[in-house]
This record gives sequence, C-alpha cells and structure tokens, in this order.
Amino acid sequence: MHTKWNIALCLLFLAILGLGLPTPALAHGARIQYTVNVAIELVATYDNGDPMAGAQYVIYAPDDPSTPWLAGECDDEGRFSFTPDSSRPGTWVVQVRQAGHGDIVHIPVGQDTTVAGSTGGYTTLQIVLMAACVVWGSVGTALYFSPRRRG
Amino acid sequence: MHIPDGILPIPITAGGYAATAAATWYSVRKIEQQENPRRHVPKASLLTAAFFVVSWIHIPVPPTSVHLVLNGLLGALLGYFAFPAILIGLFFQAVMFQHGGLTTLGINAVIMGLPAIVAHYVFRMRRLGNHDSRTRTAVFGFFSGAVALGISVAMFVAILLGNLPADFDPAIERAAVYTLAVAHVPLIAIEGVITALLTTFLRRVQPELLDDV
Repeated sequence: MHTKWNIALCLLFLAILGLGLPTPALAHGARIQYTVNVAIELVATYDNGDPMAGAQYVIYAPDDPSTPWLAGECDDEGRFSFTPDSSRPGTWVVQVRQAGHGDIVHIPVGQDTTVAGSTGGYTTLQIVLMAACVVWGSVGTALYFSPRRRG
Repeated sequence: MHIPDGILPIPITAGGYAATAAATWYSVRKIEQQENPRRHVPKASLLTAAFFVVSWIHIPVPPTSVHLVLNGLLGALLGYFAFPAILIGLFFQAVMFQHGGLTTLGINAVIMGLPAIVAHYVFRMRRLGNHDSRTRTAVFGFFSGAVALGISVAMFVAILLGNLPADFDPAIERAAVYTLAVAHVPLIAIEGVITALLTTFLRRVQPELLDDV
C-alpha cells in the first residue's frame, strides 16, 4: 500500500515537471537597447539652382580622410543620402564633383551633429548688393581716370 | 569654366599662380611701354565690371547650362590690359559668387586671360594691309571673341582630363567634361557675335576707343 502511494506521488511529480518543462523561467526585469543611425540627406545643385544630376560623390570617414568610405552618383535631382557609422564620430567629408565643378561639405557627426547645413550661402540680395558695390567701384575708378574737360 | 577649390592638385594650382604672376608682370610691362597708359584705365575698369557681372548670366544648353565669359571681347578692346582686368574680375567672382576659388585663381586666370591676349592679336590682324573696313572689324571681332573662348574651353578640358582624381570614376568624369565642352560650342559663336557687334558699334560711335588695339 505504502509503495503504491510512493509510485503515485512520483508519477504526479513527473507530470507536473513535464508540464512545466516547455516554458522557460521568466525573469521580472526588462531591458531595451537602442542605437540611433541618422541618415544624412544631401542635395547638390549648381548656383543657378540646377540639380547636379548624375554627379559623383565621395564620402570620407573622420578617421581616414584619404580613403573613400563610400562613393556613388547623385540622382536626377542631385540627391543622395548615407548613414554614417555611429562608431566613428567626427567630421565626415563629402565631395561632389561633375565636369570639374563641385564642392566639399564638412558634416559633424556625434555630439556636434547639426540638423541642417550647407556650403556657400549668400542670399540673392546679398550677392546683388556686393556685385553693385564692385560695379560702383569700377565705375568710380573709370570716372577718376577719365580725362577731365576743362571748361 | 571656373575651376573651384579642391578640384586640382596643389602643384597645378601653384603652377597656375606662377604662370599668372609671369603673365601679369609681362602685361604690366607692355602697358607701361604705351604712350599714355592712364588713358585706357576707364575702359579697362568698366570692362572689368562687365566681365565680373556677365558670369552671372546663364544660358541653358541642355542638358547643362553655360555662362558668358567675354574674355575675347576684353582682349579685343583692351589689349594687354585684359589680363589684369580678368584677374581682378576672377578674384571678385571667386570671393562673391563662389565662381572658381582662391586656390584656383591662378589657373583660372591662365585659362581665361591668356586666350584674351591671343584675341588681342587676332583683332589687330584686321589692320593687315592698312585696310581697316567695317566688315574687317566685324569679321576679326567675331574671330577674336570665338577663338579666345575656344582656346579657354580647350585648356579647361586639357587641365581637367590631365588631372582626373583617383577617388572618382574617371570614365564618368571624362564624359561629363566632354558634355560641358560641347555645350560651350554655341557659346563660342554667341561670344563671337557679341564681340563683332560691340566692336563695329564702337568703331561707328567712338572709333578712338579702338585706335590703340
């Protein structure tokens, strides 16, 4: 009789163990990890506003400014984008070139990351004012050196 | 046509500055040898302003666009004054319009300034045989404007193709340079016509402006 109860208890224990086995033990703490991979979008245009369609670009990482990190071609609207390696903070250099024309932009990535930036950067009004100053300087020079008529 | 900073290797830009220094020195020397050099300063000054401003005028030539240069016009009307005039114009264009760059100022002055001196000699050929007619002024005016820009385009192409960067695909860059060069062909004709029109106009209204050139 005693032995019969022992066998029954053993079977019950095994059954409970068997039911519980497929489910792993759950801990009560949780952890979330995240990594920000910011994609940088660039638009290359000529100064008259035309896109640099099909222009080539080369990107240099901050720790190796002589070896291209990535190279490619702009789309028809002069756009391209890249996601810098977040483990290499610093100033990324992007050069765009087409038929001997082009520009270089320095993009800080890391703590100094800026939301937007550009090269060049005079407004049309500023350019017109500066051009007017130069033209006036030339006209003034012409007037100064022009032969004076004695009346 | 203006090569910006960061496109050419340092030896080429340094060589450009050396050539520009030599050409400026020679031009100033030739100017000093003239009877009354101050007399041409007003004309040179106004044409410097014109050269400075016209690079802002874009002419669409699909698939790209080109801008006026007028170095042949300056050469025809100014003679040796053209080189310093173009150098000053290029400096202001680089600083204010970002057309070209300060490191490439020398090489850009070579590309646009030396053909202007060639244009000066082409325009002077109208007087060969002491027969200076209106037609000859127009014909040689056209050729001085066209030849100067043609030489500039050829120099621009040669310098770029001789210094293709290692990090870019040379075949794509070469094709883009050829496309831009072909786009300048209509501009060569346009600048020839502009130079012909202006020289014949000046010959009619103020012929003394063409006396010494």
